[in-house]
Amino acid sequence: MKLRTRLALTLGVAAVSLLIIMGWAQSRWHSRMRVDALAEAAVHRMDSGGRARCEANPEGWPAHRRDREARRPPGPPGHRFPAHRLFAYDASFVSRNPASPAFPTELARQLDAGDDIAASRSEDHRRTEVAVRMPWQEGPCAVVLLRAKGPPRWFSAAVLLPAFVVALVVIVVALFAAGPIVRRVGQLTESVRKLGSDAEEPIEVDGHDEVAELGAAFEHSRQTIQAQLASLRDREAALRNYIANTTHDVMLPLSVLQGHLVSLQQRIEAGEPLDAMAIVPSIEESQYLGSLLHNLNAAARLESTEGLAHRDTIDLNRLVERVVDRHRPIASRRQIALEVAVPERPVEVQGDLTLLEQALSNLVQNAVRYNRAGGHVAVALRGDRSRWALDVIDDGPGIPEEDRGRVLQPSFRGSEARTRHPHGMGLGLHIVSDVAKRHGLTLVLDETENGGLTVTLRPGLDT
Amino acid sequence: MSDRILLVEDDAALGQQVVDALSRAGFEPDWVQDGDDARELEPDDYRLIVLDLMLPGTYGMDLLKRYRRKSEVPVLILSARDDTADKIRGLELGADDYVTKPFFPEELLARIQACLRRPNLSSTERLVVGAIVIDFERREVTASSGALSLTPVELEILSTLARRKGAAVTRDALVDAALDPAQDSSRRTLDVHISRLRNKLGEDAVQLETVWGIGYRLSEGP
Repeated sequence: MKLRTRLALTLGVAAVSLLIIMGWAQSRWHSRMRVDALAEAAVHRMDSGGRARCEANPEGWPAHRRDREARRPPGPPGHRFPAHRLFAYDASFVSRNPASPAFPTELARQLDAGDDIAASRSEDHRRTEVAVRMPWQEGPCAVVLLRAKGPPRWFSAAVLLPAFVVALVVIVVALFAAGPIVRRVGQLTESVRKLGSDAEEPIEVDGHDEVAELGAAFEHSRQTIQAQLASLRDREAALRNYIANTTHDVMLPLSVLQGHLVSLQQRIEAGEPLDAMAIVPSIEESQYLGSLLHNLNAAARLESTEGLAHRDTIDLNRLVERVVDRHRPIASRRQIALEVAVPERPVEVQGDLTLLEQALSNLVQNAVRYNRAGGHVAVALRGDRSRWALDVIDDGPGIPEEDRGRVLQPSFRGSEARTRHPHGMGLGLHIVSDVAKRHGLTLVLDETENGGLTVTLRPGLDT
Repeated sequence: MSDRILLVEDDAALGQQVVDALSRAGFEPDWVQDGDDARELEPDDYRLIVLDLMLPGTYGMDLLKRYRRKSEVPVLILSARDDTADKIRGLELGADDYVTKPFFPEELLARIQACLRRPNLSSTERLVVGAIVIDFERREVTASSGALSLTPVELEILSTLARRKGAAVTRDALVDAALDPAQDSSRRTLDVHISRLRNKLGEDAVQLETVWGIGYRLSEGP
């Protein structure tokens, strides 16, 4: 059921109930007043010559003529008694007048009990009877019985009709009065419904009542949901961007690799003599692909956290050997001497295994990748647990002194990390720099004696 | 002991490549593709186990725990994920080392060799490196040309290199072991001592290699 109808019907039912109760009370009060008025009429009529006429002619009084006088005897000025008929009886309730009805036993019982006035209301006969014992208490007119019409039934049209009219009015008024509230609730419903398609539009409800509060609560929820949506959208965009960039970055070396392989196939088909070195570029490109993916993974991890997600005890000796072993296949094919040395006792550090390994791998890969045939790369872990240093030394082209600071800038940028550096600036040096910083390590770029680059990692933030 | 190596790898292409590489390197590979089959095997029947962590049926870690309960055989993990927690857990559960995919067969072989080499580090009384024999008890060194007369510094340098035979040793480590690290001149003095040592080794001097950027290495010889 709609709010407006429910409200109107509730008010209507309440009004009808109230009016019926009031009608009933009023009818009770009326009938009581009627008894009093009839008793007063009896006394008045007997006092104003009625007694004398009655006692003079008890058989014939009162003569029930159909005249206005008898039916509506005049009362005091401005006062009219209810219409009635009057009969006279002696003290033992016997009338000399044969036209008088038998005295009602119920009234006789009441008078015998000592009352001066007795009344009975018969709703069935819609008749009120009042008996009054006169002060003189003797003679044929010692008791007077009055009969009048009424009282009306309490649920009669006289009571119910006004009740229903009032109820109708109440319902109509309620229907109109509920209008603004219903309209505002409807407005709120519409706004909330719109949330599904457009979370941008604010929910506004005027006023200071409960409907307005409900609106404000919805508006607060809308703003929260919108903020969450925005954050989700941002993350989705970042992810899409990351996937797009990654795809692009991977496609490039993959295209180069495919080019190498197709060229090899064509040369074989053309009967060209091929040596083992012909396949080296393809192998290098495939290794670059693997390294690129590892770097992208490292970049994503660095971008997602501030500090370190993992902090485990790491055996640096093993890590160094593992990284060098990873780059040996490329180094040997490019005829670059790749050497490694670790101390007799293991050097242990606290850190993120994957990040540290990727950082060192980047350093070694750069040293090998930008070197020439016959060149050297040495990876040496020196010292012990408290004072250690890790050198990656090469005799390649090096990095000009003015550029060294720039490649180690602390601000890490994922896009730069994934860029190929055609000028020998090094793949993923930003990652190395960031990983070093997060591990509290100092990264120093220096020139190797007789040319080349020496990169040193050591504990402590400043040298 | 046999050169049997157990490879537990579900990927057919990668498994075949590793098997080929192991065979070429002189090992006897035994390849199991299914984790459940791998559970039934006796780890002690092998010299080393190469275990892929991403196996269908059995999670590689469970297999590793099972093997470690039964045996001390070296286990090398193949990890497809760049997941630090996984690697650390593998090492904590007793794996000796891991190799992250993608890898070249040579890289895997190098790690296998390193795993197999590791246990025999200590032989304190006597060391043989090619033609050079060092007797630590008597502080005597013999080479192809016979007994050598070495200074304490030269003996210390040679012993340090011999203990890590085949591996490069940094100049710092040699200075720490044989000279006074506090003196600035020690690093240059080291070259002089090496030069003299080479002279005394005569034809075996080729075993004492200079390693670019690092220092020196005592190899088994040509």
